[in-house]
Amino acid sequence: MDFERSDTQRALLDALDTLLGRYAGTGRSREPAARGAYDHALESELRTAGFLDLFGDDGAGPLEATLAVERISAALGAVTPVPHLLVLPALGLPAHTGPVALAAPPAGEEPGPVRYGAEAGLILLAGADRCVAAPLDPGQAEPVPSAYGFPLARVAPVASGQGAELPPGTAATVRGWWRVGASAEALGMMRQAFDLTVRYAKDRTVFGRALGSFQALQHRLAELSVLLEGARWLVYEAAFLGAPAEASAVAAAHTTAALRRLTRETHQIMGAVGLTREHDLHLWTLRLQALRAELGGMRAHRRAASAARWGAAAA
Amino acid sequence: MADTVGTDVGFTAEEEAFRGEVLSFLTGYQGLDGYFHRRESSAEGVRKLYRALGERGWLSLSWPREFGGMGRSPAYEFILWDEMAYARVARPPMGPGLVAKALMAHGTPEQCARFLPDLRLGRTNFCLGYSEPDAGSDLAAVRTRATPLADGPDGPGWYEVDGAKCWTSNAHWADHIWLLCRTGAADSRSRGLSVLIVPLDRPGVTVSPIPTHDGGRLNEVRFEGVRVPAADRVGAENDGWRVVASALAVERHVQFPPKRLRRDLRDLVAWTGRTGLDGDPVVRRRLSGLAVRVAEVEALALALLGEIISGRPSAVPAAHHKLAGTLLTQDIARAAMEFGNSEALIKDSDVEFMWRQAILETIGGGTSEVMRGLVARQAFGLDSRG
Ligand SMILES: Cc1cc2nc3c(=O)[nH]c(=O)nc-3n(C[C@H](O)[C@H](O)[C@H](O)COP(=O)(O)OP(=O)(O)OC[C@H]3O[C@@H](n4cnc5c(N)ncnc54)[C@H](O)[C@@H]3O)c2cc1C
Repeated sequence: MDFERSDTQRALLDALDTLLGRYAGTGRSREPAARGAYDHALESELRTAGFLDLFGDDGAGPLEATLAVERISAALGAVTPVPHLLVLPALGLPAHTGPVALAAPPAGEEPGPVRYGAEAGLILLAGADRCVAAPLDPGQAEPVPSAYGFPLARVAPVASGQGAELPPGTAATVRGWWRVGASAEALGMMRQAFDLTVRYAKDRTVFGRALGSFQALQHRLAELSVLLEGARWLVYEAAFLGAPAEASAVAAAHTTAALRRLTRETHQIMGAVGLTREHDLHLWTLRLQALRAELGGMRAHRRAASAARWGAAAA
Repeated sequence: MADTVGTDVGFTAEEEAFRGEVLSFLTGYQGLDGYFHRRESSAEGVRKLYRALGERGWLSLSWPREFGGMGRSPAYEFILWDEMAYARVARPPMGPGLVAKALMAHGTPEQCARFLPDLRLGRTNFCLGYSEPDAGSDLAAVRTRATPLADGPDGPGWYEVDGAKCWTSNAHWADHIWLLCRTGAADSRSRGLSVLIVPLDRPGVTVSPIPTHDGGRLNEVRFEGVRVPAADRVGAENDGWRVVASALAVERHVQFPPKRLRRDLRDLVAWTGRTGLDGDPVVRRRLSGLAVRVAEVEALALALLGEIISGRPSAVPAAHHKLAGTLLTQDIARAAMEFGNSEALIKDSDVEFMWRQAILETIGGGTSEVMRGLVARQAFGLDSRG
């Protein structure tokens, strides 16, 4: 893995940023988020520009697709980039138009509320070994009220025999790329919340000096940056390696821990203004909470990491 | 899992009997959501509750008898607001607490006669106008100005107030604001501040909402050429810092009732039961760790109450308690999210709401960093000035 961004990567991400400047961002996110809507225009632009094909592209690959997921999420793009850019291509499934739901409920249980569940026409359901790709009838979904940026809904139960059962081992593919993808989404959002906080620490004056000149806060920002850097490289590494069980679980476990700390510290350092809905900080921090509930959260990521390394008994 | 941590140690039989009275009083108010104000309509219910408390003398439990109070130990106030917090029914009102006690210490006999009877009866509600956009932790930076009027139709004997307060809780339904404002030179810091009592319906006062993540509302309160008689200044001109500091000191034992945490934990445990998470040893271990910390905060609350009852300085024990209690409320709220179950995201369920509400607690009422700094300086004499 090359640590320097290649020229191709840079050109790619610049192009993506330009697109996102028009079809995503804080202003645009507030509007569809208020309606709880999926951004079909953004998805279509991403498709036309080829960003949904990065995973299998000769000049790019899974790492580039992961970097793109991070950018889309940082810009609050109201789409489902993880299934579109990572999971569908990793499974070798054709592209799909509109939101795709991901679920990996414990055996015998229905999935809990999922992102964009009320609009999704396709669900990828990871079982113990195989994954099922099943069509969804949005009319059957039950939306639940969400305070966390993404619209949430319980999807209609997938009856056995419904949809296509994919080959053995595909459940692990889904879990691995979902972990990498959700972590990449978190990276993008954490970086934005962090940058906002650092800017605030520089700009705000208290006791006649910059807020960020107080060592108590400097140390905490420095520790956050260690966590973020660690998360970033773990996620890129897992993507580069093809989302194997251990690397993707380790990346997700670390990212989830970083997310917890980042949420607490950014809100603390911003003081009262960061607790208001007029301020942008919550656009990222609230969405981050939805990410950490996915795939069984921290408990499940850690269990998956220890099972991958030491065998199921150790989990 | 049973909820077995106890606070009910150390209170007298009479105090425990009072707790019984409070609990039976509360049966008439179940469902009133005045602790969190999740609905704006709660304000009316809270106003009624305060009047009912006032009629029983429960808003003046520890006021001296000469001011019409019951002359009881602060332990009674603690018990009352602790049970109110557990029931999530209401927080202690600023008026009969902080404002009334400050008036008794710093007000004129005329001010006491004018304000105390209605405060005691729960008929007047106050909000606190301290913070400003550029004065939060650094409160001595307050800029809202009260200019003495030398002449003109109203002066002398009047101030004209201009400026803006922000994050003011309850300003949208309170009657008066307890206003910290600048009367000294612009750079006079804590030496040039005064406290005024200003009715919120005075011409030139505008209250506008600031919505917060918990669905609640703080307020911006603007003052444009607002006339305030000097007779409504509490304490001497430019002596407001002392008034504010002493007002803070007398209310610390009810500011953050620890039973709120016990209730938070109870709700979390019930939720892990409903979602089937409570069988997981990782979850159980986390819950037991939280239960230990609830006991810790209850102990810190009682230590603080002891200092207040004995009349010893309480800033440090109050900071210990506020720090530990508000961090814990966040950790309890976070646990549901961290158990990794998207049911925790459903808006306005108990555990979901707790998460959005708890993040406010380490900022409001003095931030965690302010508390830590206070402990370091006041308990250990650590100071950058040596
Ligand atoms: C729910 C809620 C209710 C409130 N109600 C009221 C009310 O009724 N009336 C009222 O007047 N105010 C109220 N406030 C305002 C509250 O008192 C302030 O928000 C608080 O004092 C912090 O000020 P700030 O938000 O300006 O943050 P700042 O003071 O700008 O601080 C930002 C961050 O920097 C930290 N910090 C500041 N100085 C230092 C330092 N020297 N060293 C290390 N860290 C530092 C702070 O702790 C904080 O984390 C309320 C706030 C909230 C959240």
